[in-house]
Amino acid sequence: MSDSSALDTAVEIITPENIAFRYRVAGPFRRLPAYLIDFGIRLTAWMITSVAVMIAFSSLGLPGFGLAATLIIIFALTWLYGGLFEALWNGQTPGKRLMNIRVLTVEGRPINGWQAVLRNVLRAADMMPLMFYLVGFLSAMLTPRFQRLGDLAAGTMVVVEEPKWFQGVIRLREAEVVRLAGQIPPGFQASRTTARALAAYVQRRPQFSAPRRAEIAGHLGRPLRRQFNLPPETNLDLLLAAVYHHTFVTDRREEERVVAAGSPFAPIATSPFAPPSEPADQAAPVES
Amino acid sequence: MRVSELLESRRAQWRELEELCVKMEGGSRRKVEAKTAIRFSSLYRSACADLALATAYQLPPETTDYLHRLVGRAHNQLYRSRSFQAATWGRQLLVDVPRRLFGDNYLRLAFGVFWGVFLLSMIMAYRVPGFAEQVVPREMILQMEEMYSEPIEGSGPGLGGGMVGFYVMHNAGIGLRCFAFGIFFGVGGLYAVLYNAATLGSVFGYMATTPQSDNFFHFVTAHGPFELTAVVLAAAAGMRMGFSLVDTRGLPRIASLRQAAQQAVPIIAVAVILFGMAAVIETFLSPSAAPYWIKAVVSVVSAGLLTFYFVVLGYPRGA
Repeated sequence: MSDSSALDTAVEIITPENIAFRYRVAGPFRRLPAYLIDFGIRLTAWMITSVAVMIAFSSLGLPGFGLAATLIIIFALTWLYGGLFEALWNGQTPGKRLMNIRVLTVEGRPINGWQAVLRNVLRAADMMPLMFYLVGFLSAMLTPRFQRLGDLAAGTMVVVEEPKWFQGVIRLREAEVVRLAGQIPPGFQASRTTARALAAYVQRRPQFSAPRRAEIAGHLGRPLRRQFNLPPETNLDLLLAAVYHHTFVTDRREEERVVAAGSPFAPIATSPFAPPSEPADQAAPVES
Repeated sequence: MRVSELLESRRAQWRELEELCVKMEGGSRRKVEAKTAIRFSSLYRSACADLALATAYQLPPETTDYLHRLVGRAHNQLYRSRSFQAATWGRQLLVDVPRRLFGDNYLRLAFGVFWGVFLLSMIMAYRVPGFAEQVVPREMILQMEEMYSEPIEGSGPGLGGGMVGFYVMHNAGIGLRCFAFGIFFGVGGLYAVLYNAATLGSVFGYMATTPQSDNFFHFVTAHGPFELTAVVLAAAAGMRMGFSLVDTRGLPRIASLRQAAQQAVPIIAVAVILFGMAAVIETFLSPSAAPYWIKAVVSVVSAGLLTFYFVVLGYPRGA
C-alpha cells in the first residue's frame, strides 16, 4: 500500500484505534467549485442582509447605524465566513459540503477554531496576484497534500469524503466459469497480489470487448494455463474468472477452514470492540 | 470459510454504520441519543478492525476501498472540530499575548521601523518643500487639504455613525491583509509597515505646513494611538510568521511556520480589536465639536492603556 501512495493522492491516517486508513486529498478541481459556490453564497448573503438591515434601521430612524451594520457584515463575510463555518461545521463550508470535501489537520484530526480562522485569513496571501490564486495554486502543486499557504501555516489539508457504495464479491453465473473452477487444482492458492489483480480484472471485464479481454487476460492467464495443465484452447478470460471464483467464492481447503475459524472475522464477533451482533432487520428500531 | 460469506456477515453492520453516518451528518447530531452514540462508536471500532484485517484476508480491493471511506467518514463524525474554546480567550488576550509581545523582536522591529520612517518622513515633509508630493500621490494631498479646509465644528458622527462600519472594514481589512502578506518571508509585513509609515509621516509633515494643520491634528489626535499601534501589531504578527521560515530554531521549515502562525493568531486578534476601538473613537469623537483638550486626554489615556497592556501585563514573571 505504501508503494501505491507514492504516485497517488492518498494520505494515510493512523486513528486513535491504531488503524491506518486512507483519504484522498482534494485537488484544485474540487476546491475551486467549492470556493465559487461559497463566493456566490457570500455575495447573496451580503446583498440580502445589507438591504434588510438598511431598511430595518432606516425605519427606526437610524440610517447611520444601518450603514455601519452593513459594512461590518461585509467585513465579517469577507474575513470570517470560511473560518466560522469550518469551525462550527466540522471543517466544512456550504460549498465544501456540496463538493464532498472537508478540512482536517494533517494528522487527520478535526481542526479547531484558530486553525479555521487562520487558514481563511491567509487566503488573502494565496489569492495573489489580485484574485488569480496563483500563489495558492503553486503552493498546492508543490506540496504532496495540495496545501496552499494558509493550509501550511495552519497545518491543515482538504480531503475528499465521498460515500461509496458497498461492493462485495462478484457472483459469476457463467456455467463455463464454474466448470473451469472445478478443474483448478484444489491445492491452488492465489498469492495476495494475484488475488488483488484478479479482483481488479473481474471488476472491470464487463466493460471490455472480447479481443481486449483476451489481450489483458493473456498476461496472467497463459502462465496459469500452463501451471494447471489445461488444454491450449481454454479461454483465458474465463480462466481468470474461474480463478477468481475459486479464490473468493468457492470453499477453501479443509486445513484453511481451520485457520479461518481463528482468523480475521471470526474473533471480531467476540472481541470487546464488537457490538452485540444484531440482525439487520433489528437495526431499524435503533434508527427511529 | 468463503470470502463472500464473510462479507455478507459483516455487511449488515457496515450498512448500519453507514446509516448512522448519514443521520449524524444531517445536522441533528445534538439530538443523537446516548444509546445510538454508543452503538455508533462500537460499530466504528469493529469497522476499523475489519479494515485492519482486510488486506490480510485478501478482500477484493473494491471492498477495501469501501472500508477506507466508511472508516474515514465515521472517523469525522466521531472526532469533531472543537470550534472555539471561548473560555480560554480571556487568558489568551490578557495574559499570554502581552507576555509574548513584551520580549518579541518582531514587534520591536516593526515598531522601530514604523516610528523611524514615520518621524523621518514627517520631518522631511515639513522641512523640504515638495517631498510629500514625491511620496504621496498629488490627488491624495489635494483631497486631504480639501477634507480639512473647514474647521471641525461637530457635524455629528460621520454619516450618522455609519463611518464606524467603514473604518472597521477598511482599516482592519488593511491590517489583516498586512498580516497575511507577512507569510512571504516577512517581506509583505515589512513593506506594509514601510509604506504606511512613509505615507502617514509625509501627510503629517505636509499638513503641518498648511493652513489646515489645526483642523487636521484636531481630527487625528484622539484615535491615533490605537490605530497606529494596531497597524504595527498586525505587521509584527505577519513578520513572526514570515521570519519563522528563515529562522526555524532547529525545526523543519513548515513545522516552524505552523508554530509561529499559531502564536500569531491571538496577536492579530488583538490588532483587530484595537482597529475596532480606533474606529469607534474616529467616528464619534474625532469629528465632534468637543474641545481639543478632551481629544488630547483620550489620546493620552489610550496610550496609557496600551502601555499598561504591553508593559505591566507583559512584564515577565516567574511562572
